[in-house]
Amino acid sequence: MTLSRRDFLRLAGLVAASAANAAASACAPVYNKLGSDFQSPANISSVGFPELSRLTFGPRGEERARVAEIGLNAWIEEQFAPDSIDDASAFWRLRRFRTLGMDANEIYEVGNKLFDDLDKTPAVNELRQATLIRQLYSRRQLYEVMVEFWSDHFNISVDKGNCWFLKTVDDRDAIRPRALGKFRDLLWASAHSPAMLVYLDNQVNVASHPNENYAREIMELHTLGVGGGYTQRDVMELARCFTGWTVKEHWWLGDFRFDPDIHDNGMKEVLGLTIQPGGQIEAEGVVEVLAAHPSTARFVATKLARRFIADDPPKEIVEKAAATFTETDGDIKAVLRVILFDGLAYAQAKFKRPVNFITSSLRMLNAQTDAGNTILDYLARMGQLPFAWPTPDGYPDRAAPWSGNLMPRWQFAMALARNEIEGTHVNLAELAKADSPSRLIDQLSSLLLGGALPESKRDELATALQEAGATDDDLPPVVAAGLTASPAFQWR
Amino acid sequence: MPNLLTRRKFFESAAVLAGAVAWPNWMPRLAFAPKHSAPRGDTLIVVFLRGAADCLNVVVPHGDEAYYAKRPTLGIPRPDDNKAKANLRAVDLDGFFGFHPNLKPLVPAWQAGHLAIVHACGAPDESRSHFRAMELMERGVDDERGPASGWIGRHLATLDMAHPGQNQSPLRAIGLGQLPQRSLGGSVPVSALRSIADFHLGGDLKALAQMRAALTSLYSGNDPLSIVGQETLDIMDAVQALDPLGYTPKITNTQYPITEFGLGLKQIAMLIKAEVGLEVAAIDLGGWDTHFAQGGSEGLMAGLLKELGDGLAAFHEDTADAKHADRLTIVTMSEFGRRVQENGSLGTDHGHGSLMMVMGGHVVGNKVHGQWPGLADGQLVGPGDLAVTTDYRDVLAEVCFKRLNNSAVDQIFPGYKATVRGLLK
Repeated sequence: MTLSRRDFLRLAGLVAASAANAAASACAPVYNKLGSDFQSPANISSVGFPELSRLTFGPRGEERARVAEIGLNAWIEEQFAPDSIDDASAFWRLRRFRTLGMDANEIYEVGNKLFDDLDKTPAVNELRQATLIRQLYSRRQLYEVMVEFWSDHFNISVDKGNCWFLKTVDDRDAIRPRALGKFRDLLWASAHSPAMLVYLDNQVNVASHPNENYAREIMELHTLGVGGGYTQRDVMELARCFTGWTVKEHWWLGDFRFDPDIHDNGMKEVLGLTIQPGGQIEAEGVVEVLAAHPSTARFVATKLARRFIADDPPKEIVEKAAATFTETDGDIKAVLRVILFDGLAYAQAKFKRPVNFITSSLRMLNAQTDAGNTILDYLARMGQLPFAWPTPDGYPDRAAPWSGNLMPRWQFAMALARNEIEGTHVNLAELAKADSPSRLIDQLSSLLLGGALPESKRDELATALQEAGATDDDLPPVVAAGLTASPAFQWR
Repeated sequence: MPNLLTRRKFFESAAVLAGAVAWPNWMPRLAFAPKHSAPRGDTLIVVFLRGAADCLNVVVPHGDEAYYAKRPTLGIPRPDDNKAKANLRAVDLDGFFGFHPNLKPLVPAWQAGHLAIVHACGAPDESRSHFRAMELMERGVDDERGPASGWIGRHLATLDMAHPGQNQSPLRAIGLGQLPQRSLGGSVPVSALRSIADFHLGGDLKALAQMRAALTSLYSGNDPLSIVGQETLDIMDAVQALDPLGYTPKITNTQYPITEFGLGLKQIAMLIKAEVGLEVAAIDLGGWDTHFAQGGSEGLMAGLLKELGDGLAAFHEDTADAKHADRLTIVTMSEFGRRVQENGSLGTDHGHGSLMMVMGGHVVGNKVHGQWPGLADGQLVGPGDLAVTTDYRDVLAEVCFKRLNNSAVDQIFPGYKATVRGLLK
C-alpha cells in the first residue's frame, strides 16, 4: 500500500506547521531587483568550481564568472578586503532584523513578556535568520565562511542561560569585526565576551568556589588544544586568574564586569609563569601568552586546514601555516594565504554540513528566501540549527557525524524544487531552458555540480525518470530535486 | 609530499565526483552497521510528562493520613473507602500505595512484574521553575554549570566511543515532536519526527514515484554514501510497508488513545517491530501544570492519566511477545512534583519530589521503590513539598548500566555519583 504524506499526517492527527512570514512577502519587490546578478548556466565556466565550493556557501554564477575573469588567487585577495565589496544585496535584507544592533539589555526586553515566561525565540531566530541571509546573499562570501568558522571555534549555545540574548552581541561585537584580523584580538574579545563567560560558567567562578570550565576550554578548545602542553594544575591556576570575570545584572544587564571582591588575590603559576596579584590583568596576561603559544599556532592552523583542505589535512601545509601564524603574530589572512594558495591543490572532498547543504542549494538555484522558520526547521532536523550546538567544541567538521542523516536533505531538495517551502521561491523555468531531457539534466548539473554528468549516468537518469512517467512539465522539478539530493551534491 | 594528490588529480577526481559513478579511494571511509541493524542493549523509550505531574495523585499514598488531611477535595479515595464509588477509588498496589483509578489498565503490567515505581524521586534543584527544572533534568546536570548536551546524547556518544559505528541507522535516535528533545542533544545526529510521516519523501504519489526513481538511479553506486542512501531508501520502504493507516495491533485489553501521544507510542512500537535500528525514542505528554481545577478521580488530570495509562498499557501489550518484551525499557518522568496541600483554586502549585515509572522485561517490578519521606508537616521540604529520597539520575544511571550496556555513567551524569537502587535485573 502506498500512502501520500497527507495520509500520514491525517493518521497522526497533525497539521503541518504553518510559518507565514508577512515581512518576507512585503519585501518581495526589493528581492526581485536584488536578484538580477544571476547568470544562466549556459554562460558560466566550470573553472574554480571545486575551490569556490570551499570558499563560499555555494558558488553562484557571478563568483564563477569573476574567478574565470581574474583567477582564483586574485578573487581570494578581493575577498580578503570585504569592506571594499558592495553588499547592498545582504544589507537591505537585514534591515528587518531589529535586534541585530541592540545592546544586551534591549534584546532582553524584547523577550520580556512581563507576566509570562521569557519568550526567547524572536531574538534567537533573528540572529539565525540574519546569519543565513548573510551566508546566502552577502557577496563577502569568504568573510562569512570565516565568521562561521570562528562561530564554531568559539562555540556558544543560545540554550545556555542568558546566551539567548548575549550571543547576538558576541556575534556582532566579538566575532564579526575580527574574523579576518588577528587571532589574538579575536581571543581577547571572546574572553571578554559576556556570552562566552556565561556559556562556560565563568560568571560563577569565584575565589571561594573556583569553576574551571572556561579556564579549561580556553586552553583545550580555543588555543593550545588537547596535548598542547598544559596540565590540570594550569587549568586550576588559570581558573583562579579568571575569578571575578563576570557579567553585570539588572542595570547594564549583560555587560562585562570585573568584580575585585570575588577575585582570588593570591599568587598564581600558569604554564610555568609566575603571576603576581593584579586583578583583571592576570588573566589578560595569560590570554596574550596563549595567543602567541606555538601549540595555538598548530591547533588553529590544523582546524583551518581541516575546514578548507581535508578532514585529515596534509601535515606539511599545517606546519607551514602554523609557522606563518607565529611569524605574523596570528594574522588570519596570512595563515589563510598559505592554506588556500598552497593547500587547495591537495583538497579532498568534504561532506557538506547541513548549513552548507541548504545554503548551497538555495544559492545555486538562485532562490529568493526569507530564511524563515521553515528553513530553520529543516536545519534543526538535519542537526545544525545555528548556535544550538550544546558542547563547546562547535559543530563537527568531519564527514562521519553527518553522513547518516540523508532523509531530511532529500525532503528539503524535493520541497525546494517543487516550491513547497514557505517564504522560499525558485524559478526553474528561468534556470533551465532545455529542449530535451538530456539538455535539461546537463544544464542543471552544470549549475549544481559544476559540470555535466557522465553521459551514461545522464542517460540512465533520463530513462529512469521516463519510466516513472515524468512528463516534460514534471522534469525540471524532479531533476533539480534529484541532483540536489544526489551523492555528488552532498560533497564539496 | 607522498600520498597527496596533485592539483591535476584533484580536478580529475572532482569530475568523477560530479558524476557520482565511483568514489576516489581517498573518500572518507564510513563504518556501517548491517542492514536494519539491531540496537545494542534495550531500546529505550523516555516519556516526559511536561508541566510537573502531581505524583501524589498518580501513585496515591493512601496509607499516609496526612495525604487526606492536605487533599480534602482532590484526594483520591482509599481502595476500601465505601463512601466513594468503586470506580473512583485508588487501585491498591501494596497496602500503602495505589494507582489513580485511570491507571487501572497498567495493572496487568504491574502484576506481571514488568512495572516498577520509584516514589519521592526527583532532582535536587529547588527552583520550582518548569523551564529550569526540565532543562537541568534533560541535560542531567545539577545546575546551570556543566555540559549543555543532554543525558541521552551523552549516552549515545559514550557508547559510540566504546563501540564505534555499530549503529548508523537514520532512525537510531528519534524525538517525537517538532524538535528533538533537549535530552537527545549531543554529538550523535538525531531525527525529530512529528510522526513516521516525517520519514517519507513527500509530494503527491506521482512526484514521489519520480523522485524515488531519481534517487535509485543516483544512489546506485557502491561508495559509502550511496550505501547509506540505499539503506535510507530501504528503511523508507519498510516504514511505508508498516501500513500505519491499517495497522491494528493484536491487543485486547486497552487500545492506543487516538491522540498525538497515543499515536506516537503506537508508531514507536511499529518502528521497533520493523527493526529499523531504533535505539532511543523520546516522547512527551504535556498539560500537567494543574494549578486550577485539577480534579481528583475525575476531571482534568484524570483525563491525562487515562491517556498515559492507556498508552503505556497498549504499548506494553503490543510489545509483549518474547522477541520484544525482553529488549525494551520505558522510563516515565516529570520535572518535579506538586505541593502536598491543595490550593484555593482546586488545583496544586509547584512542588518538589516526583516519581518515576520504569517498565520493561527486566525491572524489579510489582514494587514501589524508594524511601517514603512522609507527608506530615515536619516531613515536608520548602513550602510544604514532598522530599526527594531518590535522585532521578540513580534510576537513569542504572538503566544505562544494566540495560543499555553503557558503564560510562560518570560521563553521562558528570559530577554525580550514582547509587544502584536495585530497580533492574
